[in-house]
Amino acid sequence: MAKRERRVGYGWPVLLAIGVHVAALMLTLIKWPESESDPTSSSVVQATLVRAETATDQPQQTEDSTPPASQSEEEDAPEPEESAPSEASEEPEPDSEAETTDSAVEEAKAEAQRLQEEAQRAAEQRAEAEQQRQEEAEAERQRQEEAEAERQRQEEAEAERKRQAEAEAERKRQEEAEAEKKRQEEAEAEKKRQEEAEAEKKRQEEAEAERKRQQELAERAAQANNSSLDSMISDEEQSIANAKQASEAANGFKNLVRRYVEQSWNVPSNASSELRAIVRIQLLPTGELVNATIIQSSGNSAFDHSVINAVEKAAPFRAMRELDASVKGQFREFNLDFNPEDIR
Amino acid sequence: MNDSMSIPHLIMNASLIVQLVMLLLLAASIASWIIIFQRSIALRRAEKAYQDFEDRFWSGVDLNELYRELPAEQESHGAEHVFRSGFREFNRLMPKTQSTDAVLEGVQRGQRVALSREEDRLQLHLTFLATVASASPYIGLFGTVWGIMGSFQSLSMAQQATLSTVAPWIAEALVATAMGLFAAIPAVIFYNRLSAHAGRLLGKYENFAEEFHAILHRNLQGRSEREAS
Repeated sequence: MAKRERRVGYGWPVLLAIGVHVAALMLTLIKWPESESDPTSSSVVQATLVRAETATDQPQQTEDSTPPASQSEEEDAPEPEESAPSEASEEPEPDSEAETTDSAVEEAKAEAQRLQEEAQRAAEQRAEAEQQRQEEAEAERQRQEEAEAERQRQEEAEAERKRQAEAEAERKRQEEAEAEKKRQEEAEAEKKRQEEAEAEKKRQEEAEAERKRQQELAERAAQANNSSLDSMISDEEQSIANAKQASEAANGFKNLVRRYVEQSWNVPSNASSELRAIVRIQLLPTGELVNATIIQSSGNSAFDHSVINAVEKAAPFRAMRELDASVKGQFREFNLDFNPEDIR
Repeated sequence: MNDSMSIPHLIMNASLIVQLVMLLLLAASIASWIIIFQRSIALRRAEKAYQDFEDRFWSGVDLNELYRELPAEQESHGAEHVFRSGFREFNRLMPKTQSTDAVLEGVQRGQRVALSREEDRLQLHLTFLATVASASPYIGLFGTVWGIMGSFQSLSMAQQATLSTVAPWIAEALVATAMGLFAAIPAVIFYNRLSAHAGRLLGKYENFAEEFHAILHRNLQGRSEREAS
């Protein structure tokens, strides 16, 4: 027992290990061609196959048709040669015997008949072979003609397709060009409209300015001419007019700011229509927001918060720059009141 | 295509360092397979020998007879070796001392030495398998990296970087990784299997040593009581 156990040497294991490696190598060698035959049959070979069919179609047919003809000729040709030697071998015999001349003559006649028949048969076979050749040639011609006709048809079809495609492309081009023209025209028309609108605005402004000048001139004349009472009355009137203008401009700017703020206002969903908050807004001359504070709370802190947020979101108010310097002073600081009903 | 991408062709066309790596991996693979076969045969035989010995031990045979039947010290293995060294120690100590503790201690020491030798013998060369298992993927990776470096160097020479200029290099480089894995996977599997087998066998030897020790202890206890009476 113990002796056997000790003899577990390295001979067998070495052989087995090498055997395992050789088997693995064989597996890799054997499996390679099998696995590679599959990919070659996929896409590449299909393309070459199509070409091979079209390229070798006619030559194959001609080869097929010519060999039978040559074979038939060869078959035809040897037959007379074979019959000629047989005649030569058979003919001398009656000559040498020279006794049964009649029979020889008959035999000769029979042979002549046989020869004629064979010649006729050969001729018929040749004729048949030629007919076959001609038929095959005609069939080939027909095939070629058909193939050419098909090719022509395909080419015509392709040409028509191309023409249609070109025509469509041209149509598209024309349509695009027309569309562009229309766009340009529209753009020009809009420009004109805007220009006209601006011109009208200018005209109106000029007219107003002239009116003011005339009023001022008239007032000055009135002041110069009239008594102090009149001048006081006119002063009052002027101040009233100025206040009106100022309030109008102020209302315009306020409404603008209100619109901006309301656009960016997320009214809380639980806000009732009775809520009302007044916000004090402080602005720089450039329209940037300095500060926004609630001066009269609505009582709902979420609502107040949303209003402040909306003001901060809507800032800066660039319309401030376009205001007159005199009016600007009013809007460094102003109040706005917000009510959810304004939006809903 | 068919010829240039086959594995032997790739190996023959590889650069020198990649070829050396492949050779190293092949040698490691062959060596690990030799060890796998040798160890699995040796362990199977050791297990069979242990079962035979245990059958004989528990068949009621006289221990002195069994000791005499067994072959000489150098040729005995496994449980026989444990039994022999313990029993020899017992026989030598019995005439010299009256103390049962001293005798049992000597027996235990002899068995321990035998067990550690057996452990050594069972796990012979298994560390080599572990080394192959852990190192050969890295060696193969080194070959692959080197091959791909070469492929990029050749790419810098080429005017146009087509797939056909790079593909053979990369395929050839990847063969090195494949070979590394080919060497490593069996080594890992069989290292685990064989070391588990060896550990199981060693546990059996230890159990046997304890049982044998218990028998001797019982024997000595009986003898001392007889002497006392």
